[in-house]
Amino acid sequence: MNDAAPNAHSAAPARRLGDNAPLRLAEGGLIDRSRTLAFTFDGQRYLGHPGDTLASALIANGVRLVGRSFKYHRPRGILSAGPEEPNALVELRSGARREPNSRATTIELYDGLVAASQNRWPSLKYDLLSINGLAGPIIGAGFYYKTFMWPAAWWEKVYEPLIRRAAGLGRAAGVPDPDTYDKANLHCDVLVVGAGPAGLMAALTAGRAGARVVLCEDDFRLGGRLLLDRREIDGRSALNWVAATEAELAAMPEVRILRRTSVVATYDHGTYAAVERVNDHVAEPPSHEPRQRLWRIVATRCVVAAGATERPLVFPGNDRPGVMLAGAVRAYVNRFAAIPGRRAVVFATNDDAARTVDDLAHCGVDVVAVVDARPQASAVMADATQRASARHISGGAVTRVHGRLGVEAVDIRAANGATARVACDLVCVSGGWSPNVHLASHLGGRPEWDATLAAFVARNLPERMDLAGAAAGDLALADAFTQGHRAGSAAAEACGFSAASAPIPLLDPESTATSPLWRVTGTRGKAFVDFQNDVTTGDLELAHREGFRSVEHMKRYTTLGMATDQGKTSNVNGLALMAELTQTSIPATGTTTFRPPYLPVAIGTLAGHHRGKEFRPTRLAPTHTWAKEQGAIFVETGLWLRAQWYPTPGEKDWLESVDREVRAVRSAVGICDVSTLGKIDVQGPGAAAFLDFLYTNTMSTLAIGRARYGLMLREDGFVMDDGTVSRLGPEHYVVTTTTANAAGVMAHMEHAQQWLRPGLDVTLASVSEQWAQLSVAGPRSRDVLRAVVDPAHDISDAAFPYLAVAEVSAMGGIPARLFRISYSGERAYEIAVPAGYGDALVRALMDAGRAHGIVPYGTETLGVLRIEKGHVAGNEISGQTTARDLGLGRMLSRKKDFIGRALAERPALVAAGRPALVGLKPVDRSLRLRAGAHLVAQGAEPTAANDQGYVTSVAHSPTLGHWIGLALLSGGATRHGERVRVWDPVRSGDTLAEVCDPVFYDPAGERLHG
Amino acid sequence: MADAMQPLPLSALAGSITPGRKGRRSGGPGVLVEEVRPSGIATIIARQGQTEALAAKVRLDLGCDLPLKPRRVDSAGVALIWAGPGRWLALAAADHVDAPFAADLETRLSGLASVMDQGHALSLLRLSGPRVRDALAKGFPIDLHPRAFGPDDAAITLVSHITAHIWQTRADPVYEVAVARSLAASFWHWLEASAAEYGLQIEGG
Repeated sequence: MNDAAPNAHSAAPARRLGDNAPLRLAEGGLIDRSRTLAFTFDGQRYLGHPGDTLASALIANGVRLVGRSFKYHRPRGILSAGPEEPNALVELRSGARREPNSRATTIELYDGLVAASQNRWPSLKYDLLSINGLAGPIIGAGFYYKTFMWPAAWWEKVYEPLIRRAAGLGRAAGVPDPDTYDKANLHCDVLVVGAGPAGLMAALTAGRAGARVVLCEDDFRLGGRLLLDRREIDGRSALNWVAATEAELAAMPEVRILRRTSVVATYDHGTYAAVERVNDHVAEPPSHEPRQRLWRIVATRCVVAAGATERPLVFPGNDRPGVMLAGAVRAYVNRFAAIPGRRAVVFATNDDAARTVDDLAHCGVDVVAVVDARPQASAVMADATQRASARHISGGAVTRVHGRLGVEAVDIRAANGATARVACDLVCVSGGWSPNVHLASHLGGRPEWDATLAAFVARNLPERMDLAGAAAGDLALADAFTQGHRAGSAAAEACGFSAASAPIPLLDPESTATSPLWRVTGTRGKAFVDFQNDVTTGDLELAHREGFRSVEHMKRYTTLGMATDQGKTSNVNGLALMAELTQTSIPATGTTTFRPPYLPVAIGTLAGHHRGKEFRPTRLAPTHTWAKEQGAIFVETGLWLRAQWYPTPGEKDWLESVDREVRAVRSAVGICDVSTLGKIDVQGPGAAAFLDFLYTNTMSTLAIGRARYGLMLREDGFVMDDGTVSRLGPEHYVVTTTTANAAGVMAHMEHAQQWLRPGLDVTLASVSEQWAQLSVAGPRSRDVLRAVVDPAHDISDAAFPYLAVAEVSAMGGIPARLFRISYSGERAYEIAVPAGYGDALVRALMDAGRAHGIVPYGTETLGVLRIEKGHVAGNEISGQTTARDLGLGRMLSRKKDFIGRALAERPALVAAGRPALVGLKPVDRSLRLRAGAHLVAQGAEPTAANDQGYVTSVAHSPTLGHWIGLALLSGGATRHGERVRVWDPVRSGDTLAEVCDPVFYDPAGERLHG
Repeated sequence: MADAMQPLPLSALAGSITPGRKGRRSGGPGVLVEEVRPSGIATIIARQGQTEALAAKVRLDLGCDLPLKPRRVDSAGVALIWAGPGRWLALAAADHVDAPFAADLETRLSGLASVMDQGHALSLLRLSGPRVRDALAKGFPIDLHPRAFGPDDAAITLVSHITAHIWQTRADPVYEVAVARSLAASFWHWLEASAAEYGLQIEGG
């Protein structure tokens, strides 16, 4: 640190600005005066320049009042010049693109920008709800908890709408966002967060070493505070150094610079999230370009050079428009050539604020007083004050702010207690700087208190992360360069590169001396700690009085540090006041938890491409195009789209279509795409033994060219899935799974192979995608297939009986697999061809079947057919049913071991009286049964105690002419012939049903054989 | 017993991949894409303890080394791509004549490996162009930078919730991506959306 004059630029102050002088300086700043941008705020038209933010353009136009506060509707202006802004929140853009709570300080100005203030009615200047300010004592901390307690029914109807109207901030657009958002991945050796002096130096060092570097800068310009302060590097303006560094970085092929990109989160293993505002600086994104992009950055090393945030001071009226952070004031005058006020008072606790005194004087602002809260006079501050010809008050304080819609004067209390009123329109405040420790704390490391800095610094860093510059507490520029270079070298070297040492630039002298002031005491009036949530010192005192001592409780009770700014300007002041109230130290009080994201992130950005139907992928069956042509109605089953039914002209509803499809299958022939079932190829010398272990029944005895129904249990003895097992060769099987369980069964089989039976030489491969498989069911099915399967293959009943399997060819030489298996109970086949031929196959079958009355059928008919036959499906194989419950107890082999065998014999799983599968017919055959209805004994009260089971599946059976159902009923088969009450409280159903065998149709199974 | 009346297979991308320009129109295309149709695709899984014997057989028959890490080898019109421990994807070039490919492999590798015909199970896309890595980065979570992933490197990863097998065939770079047939249309939606800002040229047809 250096006690010499802090600013080498402080030559003779410019001529004082007159009262009517423009608030935009005639020269200087990083704006392009050759171009003018028009924008509107609250309907009023203004002009700005490229390089402006909305906040700087408003300041240059003399707009001080930009919003109303959250709770008290107090007039608010612009506090900061960065993403920490708690006050200047606006609705940006209009219509479907309207974005609430946008920070005016980070909105890059563009031509045609439209913004509106928030949280005011009827207008910003005359806000009727500002009466809340008078009710302050009533609506302090915990107001909602205490007031809106009862009656509970009032919550939704009265309290919530009331609170939302009164306290809500901006309004969402309310219609779908017309823009697109992107997500992308980025990998690098070194991620540098922040392109201020430390970040630029780190990136330069790592880049020169040859590392792949990603440099993310929140702003649209690189430079950080070098853009905001008038500094000299190597005897020239710091801007020259920034430009040269930027040019060198841009020329490095392995360095990627992301401007307008905020790194918002640190995750495990060197993963970071960043939001790039690709097209927020234009009215509408160019076609095909996203508005924003969410980057997932994976970095071997990370250097966080995210800077520091200046703290406001806590005194009555500190929220009035015109009270601004001292560093932000420098940003406006130096970078944007915009003058926030003509008569300024500077109230600070540190030497850094002396720069504000110099810079204001430099551009002609009348600095009327410099109030240094420190009792010992600072030479740096005194010199600056003298250069600005201002009054210097050491050990003083601002105790009151006059002016409602903006600062008009302040009361200054000198060290001796004398108070004087000073007219001014700008109060520059600085309570010191808090390093931005957020990214270093997202993984749970708590920052530690550094008394010298009067700030929290991150000490327990996540692995692979380093800090540099102000983010590390190194507030002096010289330290930022040194530490940036050190961190860049270390990061590159950790990635296997060797970094050369570089000379640290020669700098102008500087001082960062500071001493904290947590609040101005001995005053009256609302002194705000958290501007965005309207939390005052009084609220903290109230919370303390009411027993909220933990910092986390204090946060939740007062809402300090919540909302969109997450307390960036308020948390440290709040903690310090909390420590004072509880008479503990600041380190003992600790911080609240830092959680991602650092800045608010739009939901659309997190969704990226995955919105609407792209929320998840869709799987299309091989006959999808054909089914669409037929006008099929589709249903989502997992990721699959399956044909649910095929309406034909004149049909009134789905039931009519499904009845027709069912009748066609029972009387002629129907086809259905069953490709969605899982198909797993099992090969190897151990295949037979493996399947014996996997299924409850024996598969090793299955003859080649034959298929068998198979049942598998979970380890816990409940049924997992069912399907068919076909043997294609001595060591070659193909098994099917249900559509829903395909992936789960594959995982189960891989687990069994790798962990339970590693000794078996067996290979597993999903071949689900390879085959288009169509079910051809009905008495005429063989006739249809005869025309499609090549003539060389004999498919007569003698050669190809029920449960036969063969590898054949079809459609003139296309390899095919033919299975004689039936789910419908009719003579039925499944024919599989390579998936690309599925479309041709369905068309060939339809052509061949036309003369036989063929119909395509969907999943609804599939369901009716299986319910008529009493076959169980997902509704019954619910994970809570045993093989015995489902009437499949005979499939549990007693001759071999299989997965789930032991636990299936647990007493509760074999207990008599367990609900077991039965059929149900409504006693009044005209009535409908509903799945999900509960069963109670006839005449019994429908209570939980009397519950005997429930209806699992229902169908209207056109074959029987009435509704039928499958149910799990206590006692199961022993109750055939009884009547039960079917009670459906959800749809007000209460009918009687007759319990019967679940096989409603062809119980002897004669139709299977033709 | 091929027949003159035999139908032609239908690509899963038939409705999606029509030659022409998509997305940004100005300037040259940033991404070029075409569907690749190998004459055969098979999954090879080594039988227990047979990996070395399998590698020897592959060396003898194809003249290349079976990749034992995520790599691709290419010899005599057949590419073998690592697909997991003891597992490979075999692709026969479009002009490969030893059809049917999978059956032929099964015979050659009998006793050493299981061979499953996957000729219709996968949709393959070949991707290139000056912005191809930028477009792929929107879905592929892996590092495709030349320092991390080069010609003949392969990986299996998840893109837009879809399992994708990717390998690089040329340094300039050219990538090939295989996805399950049923998910090909969804993968295509992702690709088209992701490449739109760079301009997507769909070739072939």
